[in-house]
Amino acid sequence: MRKPWRMVALATLVVVLVIALTPYLWLLMTSFKTRLDALADAPVWLFTPTLEHYPMVFLDKGYLPLVGNSLIVAGVTTALSLAIGVPAAYVFARHDFAGKEDLFFFFLTTRMAPPISVVVPMFLFFGYVGLIDTRTSVILAHSTFNLSLVVWMMRGFFADIPREIDEAAQMDGHTRTGMFLRVLLPLAAPGMAATAVLCFILSWNEFLYALILVAFESRTLTVGIPGLVTPHGTLWGQVAAVAVVATLPIIVFTFLVQRHLVRGLTFGAVKG
Amino acid sequence: MNLSRWGSGILDRGVGPLFLVPALLLLVVLLVGPFLYMVGVSFTDLSFALPGHDGNFVGFENYRRLMREDPVFWQSFGTTLVFVSSVVSVEFGLGFALALLLFHHVQRRRFVLTLLLIPMMLAPVAVGLMWKLMLHGEFGMLTHYLRELGLLGPQTALLGNHDLVLPTVMLVDVWEWTPFVTLVFLAGLLSLPREPFEAAVMDGARPWQVFRDITVPLLRPIIALVLLLRGIDAFKEFDKVFILTGGGPGTATELISIYAWRVNFRNWDLGYGAVCAFMVYLVVLILCAVSYKAIYWTEGRAVK
Repeated sequence: MRKPWRMVALATLVVVLVIALTPYLWLLMTSFKTRLDALADAPVWLFTPTLEHYPMVFLDKGYLPLVGNSLIVAGVTTALSLAIGVPAAYVFARHDFAGKEDLFFFFLTTRMAPPISVVVPMFLFFGYVGLIDTRTSVILAHSTFNLSLVVWMMRGFFADIPREIDEAAQMDGHTRTGMFLRVLLPLAAPGMAATAVLCFILSWNEFLYALILVAFESRTLTVGIPGLVTPHGTLWGQVAAVAVVATLPIIVFTFLVQRHLVRGLTFGAVKG
Repeated sequence: MNLSRWGSGILDRGVGPLFLVPALLLLVVLLVGPFLYMVGVSFTDLSFALPGHDGNFVGFENYRRLMREDPVFWQSFGTTLVFVSSVVSVEFGLGFALALLLFHHVQRRRFVLTLLLIPMMLAPVAVGLMWKLMLHGEFGMLTHYLRELGLLGPQTALLGNHDLVLPTVMLVDVWEWTPFVTLVFLAGLLSLPREPFEAAVMDGARPWQVFRDITVPLLRPIIALVLLLRGIDAFKEFDKVFILTGGGPGTATELISIYAWRVNFRNWDLGYGAVCAFMVYLVVLILCAVSYKAIYWTEGRAVK
């Protein structure tokens, strides 16, 4: 490639990266700024950092339990979705039966369903069975979309394992269930780890279901954030502190699963 | 006929398909059941706000009201269509260009790409907040620099102005989701066979010709996939806009999800709200059926 073009390309890339990262950087900085610096007329880029917002909002304002709620909801949803989704994905990858692809399409529609259309009936249903404002309700709600993600991603990972391995395992005297548990599952483990991380992220980031289904003690972190924003006198340092805690783990996770993101986000249609 | 084939299938394959039962059970109990219940509610006058409206059967009254008497619904439907078509086309163009740039000119792609992905991996609520902070009318960082450059009046706030707010919200969406388009296109570009490109270069094709006659046709399934996935997602948009503007000022950014939320959970008009939620679902279901075809198209073709 000719040199001037390379320079143009690099310059463009730098500009793109600056645009992509500055808003987050600004949030990070705001969480360490004093009120005076945060509300200054001209943006302040250099300042003496303060750590006051973090203990203030998480301890004094009681936002720490929300972190726990988010962890529990995302963790249990992930475990549940994997526990029932992985076997289902295996069936889709290795068995043939009438109506299989139609059933698979049904799983797709549950993933694509607009949250607002799902949460209205769920709200009525959970109200009826007395689960409103419990973590259980959010866990179950998140499991619906994560389950289909697991089925879609894991079907692909199982399909990547050559069928000869099945045959070899059966020659060794494994039953079908034994083969699934002792041979295929270990081989699919890296894919399963990536799927788990993606499930965790989607549940951790989710807002609308949690907003409708829980209001008080069981609030997750994302639902807690808007409560800090008021028409006047919003304490932006505290808002930013909560937002940073809600996003930093996700950035770490993104680096971990980057290789599998494409598959997860395109329902297995494109392999990264 | 089908059933008996299914039954004998289970017998000679062992318990395999039984593995599907828990997954199906969960979806039927949590999605299908409540969904049918909602369809039932859509024929009633159920409301938590009005006395006496405790779920009396009203026939198709709610549907008639949606079609004939609710300009706000159709206005928000229109806003949503403008939102979807604008953001998807801009994200498509920018994302594709960026993918080509990374593909042809950048060696340490993985690291750069991961940094680029940060916007779309953050919680949409946090994205909304970050931009609310940057666009704040009094001390917003971006507001300040736009005013310094003379691009924004001293009293104008991007999120408070009736004409500017929708384009602003769209720009935030572009910021958030362009990386997704880049990610998928880059994966697509990396999966293409090399031979057609080598042959074209041997035949003396110019870069633009190669792009038009080889790259784009080979990527066609990916193009369809990206447009549909982004289209469906943009149609469902709620979190970010809810935090940024709450649908306002007035109803300037009231997307259809936000309208359905307002009818159900602000006005507590659940019978009519069920119809609104149902309409959103119908549109997505149609888009979904189309994208399923597109995904199968992809699997049968270039990418594997």
